[in-house]
Order: sequence, then structure tokens, then C-alpha cells
Amino acid sequence: MVFLSFSVYDFIGRFHPVLVHLPVGILLLAALFIALSTSEKFQSLKSAISISLLFGMLSAIASCISGFLLSKTDSYDESLLFKHQWFAIALAITSVIVYVLHLTNKPTKLIAVLMVVLITITGHLGGSITHGSDFLTKAFSSGTNPSGDGSGKTIVNVQEALAFTTVIKPILDSKCIACHGPTKQKGKLRLDEPSFIKQGGEGGMITLTAKGSESELLKRILLPKENKDHMPPQEKPQLSKEDVALLQWWIENGSGFDQKVKDIEQNEKIKTVLKGLESAKPKDEPLLSDIPDQIVSMGDEKAMKMLRERGVAVSAVAQKSNYLTANFVAVESFSGKDLQLLEPLKKQLIWLKLGNMPLTDEDLKTVGKLASLVKLNLQKTKITDQGISQLKNLSELQYLNLAGTSVTTKGLEALSGLKKLHKLFLFQTSITEADISGLKNIFSNATIDIGGYKVPMLQSDTVILKAPVIK
Amino acid sequence: MSDKQNQRLVKEAQDAVLQQYTRRHFLKDGAMGFGALALGSLMGSCIGNTAATSLFDPANPLAPRAPQFPGKAKSVIYIHMAGAPSQLELFSYKPELAKLDGLDCPQSLLEGKKFAFIRGVPKMLGPQAVFRQRGESGLWLSDNLPHLATVIDDIAMLNAVTTDQFNHAPAQLLMQTGSARMGRPSIGAWVTYGMGSENKNLPGFVVLTSGGNNPDAGKSVWGSGFLPSVYQGVQCRSEGDPVLFLKDPSGMDRDLRRASIDAINKVNQEQYAEYQDPEILSRISQYEMAYKMQISVPDVMNINDEPAYIHEMYGTQPGKTSFANNVLLARKLVEKGVRFVQLFDWGWDTHGDSEGNAVDIGLVNKCKKVDRPITALLKDLKQRGLLDETLVIWGQEFGRTPMQENREGKKMPFKGRDHHSAAFNMWMAGGGIKGGTSYGETDEIGYNIVSGKTEAYDIQATILNQLGFNHEKLTYQSQGRNFRLTDLSGKVITEILA
Repeated sequence: MVFLSFSVYDFIGRFHPVLVHLPVGILLLAALFIALSTSEKFQSLKSAISISLLFGMLSAIASCISGFLLSKTDSYDESLLFKHQWFAIALAITSVIVYVLHLTNKPTKLIAVLMVVLITITGHLGGSITHGSDFLTKAFSSGTNPSGDGSGKTIVNVQEALAFTTVIKPILDSKCIACHGPTKQKGKLRLDEPSFIKQGGEGGMITLTAKGSESELLKRILLPKENKDHMPPQEKPQLSKEDVALLQWWIENGSGFDQKVKDIEQNEKIKTVLKGLESAKPKDEPLLSDIPDQIVSMGDEKAMKMLRERGVAVSAVAQKSNYLTANFVAVESFSGKDLQLLEPLKKQLIWLKLGNMPLTDEDLKTVGKLASLVKLNLQKTKITDQGISQLKNLSELQYLNLAGTSVTTKGLEALSGLKKLHKLFLFQTSITEADISGLKNIFSNATIDIGGYKVPMLQSDTVILKAPVIK
Repeated sequence: MSDKQNQRLVKEAQDAVLQQYTRRHFLKDGAMGFGALALGSLMGSCIGNTAATSLFDPANPLAPRAPQFPGKAKSVIYIHMAGAPSQLELFSYKPELAKLDGLDCPQSLLEGKKFAFIRGVPKMLGPQAVFRQRGESGLWLSDNLPHLATVIDDIAMLNAVTTDQFNHAPAQLLMQTGSARMGRPSIGAWVTYGMGSENKNLPGFVVLTSGGNNPDAGKSVWGSGFLPSVYQGVQCRSEGDPVLFLKDPSGMDRDLRRASIDAINKVNQEQYAEYQDPEILSRISQYEMAYKMQISVPDVMNINDEPAYIHEMYGTQPGKTSFANNVLLARKLVEKGVRFVQLFDWGWDTHGDSEGNAVDIGLVNKCKKVDRPITALLKDLKQRGLLDETLVIWGQEFGRTPMQENREGKKMPFKGRDHHSAAFNMWMAGGGIKGGTSYGETDEIGYNIVSGKTEAYDIQATILNQLGFNHEKLTYQSQGRNFRLTDLSGKVITEILA
């Protein structure tokens, strides 16, 4: 065999992924025939057993040989490979035994069961080598992103962060370590820990050096995608332009493992890329602070139906939330009774718009019981200082709109306990600029808007330009 | 013939029929049938997996619905400047361009480019406006918009918007429907399909136009495409009857109208019972809506009762069609719970072919008509506590070239600029947008984008995001596949979000 060059072994080895499926299929079929032929009905299958065992056996042996050759061409997880190899050899031998037993008309059933068990184990081990040992179980670990590209993580201040840990490692983790990590070490290279990275890969390949241009890693990621040495391999997820720029920047500047980002020289281009890491990636379903964190039970269907019949727009604040928003804008002939319909929903109702309704101080008693309210709009209602104190227990209130009401500073003092209030609208009330500082003392966390904004006339507003007339 | 004979003949005939169906036929047909059943369920499961549940409830298509997640904005006022104003005289400060004024445009900028009117080698045209940094944010703004400068800190400027269309109609369609060709639903249609509307007496999507013309793309820019037609924009007029044919005809009182609508609806109900076509239910609810609108629309569309200081602030004159009136109406509609108000203002196509289309004359005058009302709108929404939940957008279909237009290779009578698709400005305010920010950069002369590329899809994705929708998940099935507003692109511009 000396005359065969290494690449021929390699070539034969590469048929392994194709060949392995033959013994799995044919031997399972043979076992099935053996089992079935015990029944009177399937006697005809008996004649097919020997031929299927023969082909199964031959393909098992061929798979063993090709698999052995393949194992020499690349580095795989050694313990998995060891098990796969010996289970496969055991399977091949078992298949020979079954065949011989069958030819000599000896009972084959028990050993055929063993053969099926061996096929299952060998197949699983083989699959674990190529797809990773957690391939099967991944289906159950929902929610986690298997490639772990670190999206969603936001870096607060990139310049103060450690360059390797926060910037470089996430890239390696998402795009490299599947083949160069704890489970597989293609080219004997591991990129999951600094010590392995420094060690480099097969044949003394230089992963990183002080002078980046000699770095094999950098060279390979910069090769055109079509080149066979390009990394990651063409069929695998590629590095983004930013990833490449960051790796190049880090390697060319000495690839230190303990440096902070700010200690490494940066040009304008890399600065923007680094800055880009800071901005929050779009979250799938952002939750805002004006929605309470606690889970709440579903609101009373009957109450919601009655409100809708009165023209109140009631709906959930989001599809998966039980919190409610209600808007009375389309209600005709409003009465205090309509408000009482809200009471059964007081746990769920967080946003309420009652603007322009003939709402009186008396009605505020009901509003004051809606303890979950976060936003409340009472603009242009008939409420006064008398009634406003009814709202003093709405401790969750963040937004309160009292524009166009006769509420005064005095009335608002009753609400001083509303610590979460951060927006208070008082446009078209008797409250003036002079009252604001006093109100600021009461509502220290709130922005107070008394409106009355103007768009003053400018001299240019009335000038209409015309083209000069040349006579 | 006797009865007996008769019976025998009948039996014979039955047997003959039965004999035609042999066991072999039965098995063959049966096998085919089972195959078809199996295929049906297989295919069904394929389709069943991908089909999103439609949000459309034919009985009550505009009922308010929860968004996918709690959105910051509850309504949108989208102001589209049809014709495309020049960003170089409004938002995009390019001092380098001034130095090149009057010089030949370098060949490198022209190679491989197509323009609507520019031919040969045009001359560069410097900015025809004075720019200043405004507000605490120091965003640049030209003196053509002195009022807007006072609210600049509420605005997020998009400096690097780009499109691939350089003609008005397809470019407007792309901006408003996500496709340069007709047939897709507009943003407002998608939004009302997703969220319904809070006021059952008013349409959820209202369109107002000004400037003397409808946008070039016509009514398709507020169409409902393949969505149920109830979601198309309702165009209202700011002069005369707000909606045509809404008044009761003379000799027909409201009771008679009610009775006739009831009768029509009854016929429609019967039709629906027979054909189960959801469009019939839409039709019924639209008749109901029209009846309610007879009262509600004239009320909300009437700006006569607004106080004098509001008219002064917006620069409105009741009884006339003007952009200012439309802006004030937009605020009133949003206050009344209308979900999406679309304003189109025509007449920004500043080619330099006439005095009115000159960037240093017509454009300046046009700016005076919109500067005050838009500024008033932002201030008014703010004092009413509505700015936080109302997303306001300044949009246009494309921008204008840094070169002076030379239609047919000749010098134009006035200073003007050609259509420019590669780079222009838009802005957003309110509705959870971070004021005083800017996103994206263009080169020194505003010709190409340098960073922060923003496409129509990104703007659409951002609008939906602010309302509480993931643009990839708001879908509607049509012609066998799920469609969405942003089709295959779009990313939320997180950089400008508060």
C-alpha cells in the first residue's frame, strides 16, 4: 500500500458519510425480515434474509475501513471517536456472525437483536461527532440561541471593557469554537481559551503574533470566501464585516489578552465599529416601565363587554398581557354609572382616558379606586380641587393630565404622596409659571408642563419672495 | 306491463348500474381517494404551520386591538411632502458644496447614474440657504424653517435616507406601501389592520391633502391593497363637506336614511349567509360607519370652534383648503382617537423650471406655509400631553441633487435641483423618539451616504415598532403566502429611540 499517496486515503475516507447509511438501512431491514419471517404470513421474506445480510455485512465492513481512513485526516473528539470506532467494528463482526449463523441454519434472532442495538449506538455516536453531542437535546433547550452570538448583550462603555473578553471572545464563541473548541479541534486548533489560542494549531501554525500580518488566523479570515483555506469554511456562518475589522484590529495591535479597549490604538473606522457594540440591539418585545412587572389575572369579560357596548375602547395593552387600556373618547351621553363598570377591572386597568367627558368630583371617587392606574387623562373634565384628593391613593400613577380643568395648586397638594408621578400636564388651568417652583417641591420627580406655547410672528413670515424683474 | 314486470325492469337497471362499479373500480377509486386525503392533510399541515392568524374580524373590523407589545405611540401623523423638497436648502448643511458652486460636476459622480432630467455634465449648485445650529442639540437647520428651529430638540433627524426610485409615483409608493409597484397596503392600512381604532364613530385612517393636487401616485398611497378594503384611508376635505356625499340628500331625512341602511344591511346579511364572503361584512360595517360619520365627521372636521389663539398659533384660516388647516385637523383627529392621519402636501418639486419651482424663491415661500403649522403641531401636542404617544413624521419620496438641473442639457431659467434618490433627509418626533438626535451621514456634498443608511423599510419598521409591532410578525396572507409591510427587509432604527 506504500504506493498509495496520502490523498487517496483521504479520498476514500471522505466516502464514509455516504457509506455509513447503507449498513444502518440494510442490516435493520435484514433484522426486520428475520423477525417477520417467524410468522406464517411472511414466509416469503425468508429468502431475502441472506442477500440482505450479505450486503449489510459488506457495507458495514466498507464503512469501517472508510471511517478509519477519515479519522486520520482530521481531528475529532477523541473519546467519541474511540467509542464510535470500536462499536462499529463490533457491529461489523456481529453482522458477519449473523450471516454465518443464517447460512448454517442456526437460530439468529437473539444476535440480530444485539445487532440492532449496536447499530443504534454506533449511529448515535457517529452523529454526535459530526453534529455535536448536544444535537438531539438541543430541541428541548428552547429559548437559548445555539450559536450564542451574544446578541442582546449590550456593552455600556466599550472603551473601559477588556478587549479580549468583551469584544473578541464573543466573535470567536459564535463563529469559531463549533469546530475549534472543546468538542472538535479541527486542525488541532482550539480558540475557546487564551492558553489554547496562544498554543496555536497543527503544524506550528501561528495563530497570533505580535506582528499581525504573520498571523495565520488573520490571513485565513481575510482570504476570499471561494479560497479553500478561507475561514470560516464557505458553507458555515460567515464573520460580519465588523467582526473581521475587530479581529484584525485586535491581532494587528498585538493581540493582548488583558488589555482594555482604550489601551489599544484605534483609528476612526474601528472607533465607530466599537461604538456600534454599545448601542442596544433591537429587542424582540421590549417591555416598558409603564407596564407593571407583576403578572395579573385576566380581566372580567363581562365588565369589558358592557364597557364596549357603551362605546368605551377597552383592549389589552399588548397581546400577551392582561393589563388593560380604556378610552372613553367615543362614549355618548356619559354618566357616572359608566365609570362603575371599570371597578371590576381595577387590577388590570393601567391606562385610562376620560378627556372631554362631563366628569364631576363625585365621579372621581370611582376613579380613585382604580389602584393600578399608571396613566390617567382627565383633561377638559369638570373636576375641581374638591374631587382631586380622591386620587391620592393611586400610588402607581406616572402620568396625570389635568389640562383644561379648574384644578389649582392647592388641590394638587393633596397628591403629594404620588411619588412615582413623573409627568403632570396643567395646560389651560389657573396654574402659572409662578406656581411651578412650588409644585416642583411637591412633585420632585415630575416634569410639569403648563403649556401655553406660542409660535411668535417673525418678520420673515409675511414676506413673499419674487423673482427680480429685469427691465 | 304488469307491476311485476316493472319491478323486474327497475331491478335490472339497478344491477346494471352496480355492475359498472366493479370491486376493482372501487378499490382503484378508493386508493386514489385515500391518497388525496393523505396529500390533503400533508399539504394542510404545511400551510397550517406557516399561516399566521388573521387579525381581521369581519363583524367588527375596526375594534381596538392590542398590539404585539406595549408600544410607546398610540397614533401617527405622517406628513408627506409630495414632490420632494430639497434637503440641501432645509436640513443638510454642506459648506463644501458652496465652494463648488458653478463648477462642472465631476465625471465620477455621473458615471453609471440615471437622473430624471439632468443630461450631460451639469454644474454644481451651492446651498441656497443660510444654516445655523439650533437648540441644545445643535442640529443644523436652514433659516427657511425658523419656527421649526424652536422645537429642534424634539426631533430626530435622519440624514441618510435612501431609495432606489427616482420618479415621484413609484418613490411615493415605496415610501408608503413598501413596494414601488401598486397593489400593496399602505402603512396606515397595516396599522389599522393591526390595531383597529379607538373611536367607533370615526374611520381609523384619515387622509388629508393640500397644495392643489393629490400626490402623483394617486390614491394607491393610502390604499388597502390586499387587506380588507375597510382599512383603506378615508380622504377628507378641509373645505366644504369634509367627506363627499355624507350629507342627507334633500327630501330625505335621517330616519329614512336609517331605514334604507337597515334594509340594505339586511339584504347584505342574507348575501353573507349564502356566500360567507367577509367583504360583505366589511360593507355592512362601512354603511354603519358612514351613518355615524354623518354626525361625527362634520363635528371633528370643523375648525371654526377652535379658539383664536390656536388659529394664530397654526396660522389657520377656517373655510379654506390649506396645509395649516390640515395640520390642525390632524391634531383634532388624533385627539379623537383616530389611529393614523396621513397628510400629503403637494408642490415641492423644485426643478427650477419656474419661479415657483426655484430653490431660492418658490421653495422659500412654500416653507413659510408649513413651518408655522408643523411647529405649532409639535408644541400643541406637547401641551396636551399627546406628543409622547403621537409619532409625527416628516417624509418625502426622495431628495434633490447637489447639481443644478439642466433639463435637455440647457440652462434652466431658475435655480433648481433634479430628483435625487441616493441621499436625503426625513425626521421623526414624539411617540417614543429621542429628540435632538440625528442618525446617518452623507458625504461633503450630500451626494452619497457615508453611514447610517436608512431605507423606506427601516422607517416603516420603526413606525410599527413604536406602535408595538414587530414588523416581521405583522402579516396577512394573500395569494398563498404571508405578506408584510417591509416585505423582506427593514430594521428598526434603534439609534433614534428614547
